Amino acid sequence: MAEKKTKKETAPKKKETAKAAAPAKAAAPAVKAPEKEKKESRVGVFICHCGTNIAGSVDITDVQEYAKTLPNVAFADNYQYMCSTPGQSKIIDAIKEHNLTGIVVAACSPRLHEPTFRTATKEGGLNPFRFEMANIREQGSWVHMHDREGATEKAKDAIRIAVAKASLLQDLIPKSVPVEHAAMVVGAGIAGMQAALDLANAGIKTYLIEKNPTIGGRMSQLDKTFPTLDCSQCILTPKMVDVGRNPNIELMTCAEVENVEGYIGNFDVTIRKKARGVLSMAEAEEKGIVGGGCNGCGDCEVVCPVIKPNPFEMGMKPRKAIYIYHPQVVPLIYHIDWDSCIKCNLCVEACADKKAIDLEMQDELVKVKVGTAILATGYDIFPVEKKDEWGYKKYENVVTSLEFERLICASGPTGGHLVRPSDGATPKKVAFLLCAGSRDSTGIGHPYCSRFCCMYSLKHAHQIIEKIPGAQPYLFYMDIRSFGKMYEEFYYRIQDEGAKFMRGRVSNVLEDPVTKNLIINAEDTLLNRPISLEVDMVVLAAAVEPAAETDKTRKLFGVSRSMDGWLLEAHPKLNPCGTTTAGVFLAGVCQGPKDIPDTVASAEGAASAASIPIHMGEVELEPYFAQCIEEKCAGCGMCVNLCPYGALALVEKDGRKVMEVTEAKCKGCGTCGGFCPGGAIWMQHFATPQIIAQIDAFLLGGAK
Amino acid sequence: MQRTKGYPEALDKKLADTRLFEDERHPDFTKTVEEISMTIPHMCYQCGTCTASCPSAPRSSYRIRKFVRRALLGLEDESLTDPDLWLCTTCYSCTDRCPRDIAPTDVIMAMRNLAARRDIIPVNFLKTVQAIYTTGHGVPNNDVNRAARKKLGLNPEPPTTHGFPQYVKGIQYILDYFGLKDRADRIVKEREG
Repeated sequence: MAEKKTKKETAPKKKETAKAAAPAKAAAPAVKAPEKEKKESRVGVFICHCGTNIAGSVDITDVQEYAKTLPNVAFADNYQYMCSTPGQSKIIDAIKEHNLTGIVVAACSPRLHEPTFRTATKEGGLNPFRFEMANIREQGSWVHMHDREGATEKAKDAIRIAVAKASLLQDLIPKSVPVEHAAMVVGAGIAGMQAALDLANAGIKTYLIEKNPTIGGRMSQLDKTFPTLDCSQCILTPKMVDVGRNPNIELMTCAEVENVEGYIGNFDVTIRKKARGVLSMAEAEEKGIVGGGCNGCGDCEVVCPVIKPNPFEMGMKPRKAIYIYHPQVVPLIYHIDWDSCIKCNLCVEACADKKAIDLEMQDELVKVKVGTAILATGYDIFPVEKKDEWGYKKYENVVTSLEFERLICASGPTGGHLVRPSDGATPKKVAFLLCAGSRDSTGIGHPYCSRFCCMYSLKHAHQIIEKIPGAQPYLFYMDIRSFGKMYEEFYYRIQDEGAKFMRGRVSNVLEDPVTKNLIINAEDTLLNRPISLEVDMVVLAAAVEPAAETDKTRKLFGVSRSMDGWLLEAHPKLNPCGTTTAGVFLAGVCQGPKDIPDTVASAEGAASAASIPIHMGEVELEPYFAQCIEEKCAGCGMCVNLCPYGALALVEKDGRKVMEVTEAKCKGCGTCGGFCPGGAIWMQHFATPQIIAQIDAFLLGGAK
Repeated sequence: MQRTKGYPEALDKKLADTRLFEDERHPDFTKTVEEISMTIPHMCYQCGTCTASCPSAPRSSYRIRKFVRRALLGLEDESLTDPDLWLCTTCYSCTDRCPRDIAPTDVIMAMRNLAARRDIIPVNFLKTVQAIYTTGHGVPNNDVNRAARKKLGLNPEPPTTHGFPQYVKGIQYILDYFGLKDRADRIVKEREG
């Protein structure tokens, strides 16, 4: 509905201002416009030195003189930093002084400064889409740093191509679309919860989607948090309760994003609410069961005959087929593991009048409309058994740090008494192996630093010194990265408490088959001596990697990932929460490893960024959409099925069928325009004559 | 080191197992060194500032960082039997610069004390003890020095035990009290006959 409305609103605007960028009706003249009007193209070329970034390997004067010889170039200039105020003023002044119709700036990547120069072009009185950028830095001087002559020639080529396009550029008017006053957060770990709370507290209706039956994420599995040693549950559970109670947050657990359609401001998201098998009180009321629904009493769990390992406890504690992760879950509703439920109906009987359990429950699809979305999909632990040499899953007393976290946790399977898995004895000598799968370029582990293992291993060392008299922790490390606030001081404290730091990566772990003790082989690189150390228990500080479902979710939202698998931010420094898809943002570890403070900061950043378009009320879309040249359109409709965004449709006009574009849905990918057998589709800003001109300029207009 | 394969001694040493085993570590050693030195080698993070400041390091195999590491790990034998222990000039540059505010020089001095208790001490150090016992000076006055002093218009003998030999007795009393002279004499005799 909203889309149609927008179209009506913006259509008249276009008629008033746009000559060339006309809608479908006037499309035919639009194609011929550049020739017909014979309004001379006057292009201004501006070459940026970028300090010495470009000028260091490109002969600026030579390039400028060359630019002056190109057809349609009315003016050429250069400046040290075109993006600075004086640089931009040069463009503004030149437009007026030389009556320019197109602007070319030869500088960096358009990803960096296209918006900057478009603004300058607009300030000079031209339509901002009459600007074209020639990338002579990333694709020029930087890659040909040691070939001045070659880089100069390549810069000339780039400018010639850009000038050819700039000569044919047309005025385009961006569309504005209204933004739905709602947001979605995918993943309800600490990042997702914080982002959802911030959005909700800013007055935005927020859908918080979590695949697990409870919110809280990884943080709820931790015992204490460094460097303050706060109990993780004590600082997390109040937030979980806040999330559960906030009237602006609609919490959906056991839910996954099924499909995403639309664009910034108007995402239509389909959510699969998985069958929980148990009705909440609200759901029961809807069904007319008075006073019914799950109140978390646990009567069902008692009678359930099925016993399975609890994934929340890393499989170290039993649970039933109907269960909750732990007593503090939000929402406090039991759920059924369908893979192990035998449908014996004992739980249904135990639940009695509350009638909360429905063993025939089916998945449900829910559709919501949101303006912006935040991905907070978090991380998994690297399957460290792949690094065979450390013996995880081979030797009983080798555990991961997350398992250690549960073993030392007061609410864990052992009530906080650290024991060896092999015999239940209290370990006295414990070795912590850092960088277990991190900083590993073998292709088995991950090349990056997981960023928080150093700190939690320090915390683990502290915990065993505190809990076990006479315990001796050894930390085998390559570097201790204690970079956060009060982190280095924490490192000092733990060393003072008696933890022994051994600089050297562990080559292998062996097991004494009788005692089940472990022998660690490493080098003390500080003494240049190999070490053989017998310990009671080994804790692997396993690397982290993107959560298993990340790839599926990111594809639905059109978000890229970087080389290391984490989701790709719009800019690693200046836009770490944004993505290349407008209206989709990243929070927490899904963008890269982060400790809790960094995760919360990132979540607050993402929430702030995601609330901006919502509070603005409308967003401008780049006018790169396809247009149908109705005179040429045969109404074959083949393009309609090709469009990946469902933006095209066949409509009746003047007694025949022609294609029509829903502009707000069109992403300007060019699939239809490239295909159309009759050449009836005009891709704005990337029109066929413009692209042909660029190719001609490159192939035919060489300097030689 | 029990096995011999008929190699020359130097090669046998090279082929010895140099692994660091747990039984080499004596946590008490760390404690004793800390008590004597009144500093905190267990807080060392091995940055190497000490070795970089050390005037002996570029001219020898002496690495003070290693000694602090040994103190931290409690490697008593390795610390006390390493002849490099005696290459410290006690200039205190490392102590001035240590970022964790440890006094590495004092760690070395503590280790030297502990080594001496086990009669591990170079003869030249003992001869210094003997020189102090007889003259009150580790480096007694000599003719070159006397000539230089005269040239400068100074008394050839400085106003120390050289100028006031009657006070040498007091120094001898102290050394006798701790049995240092007898000990030095005994060891020197054992080694030099």
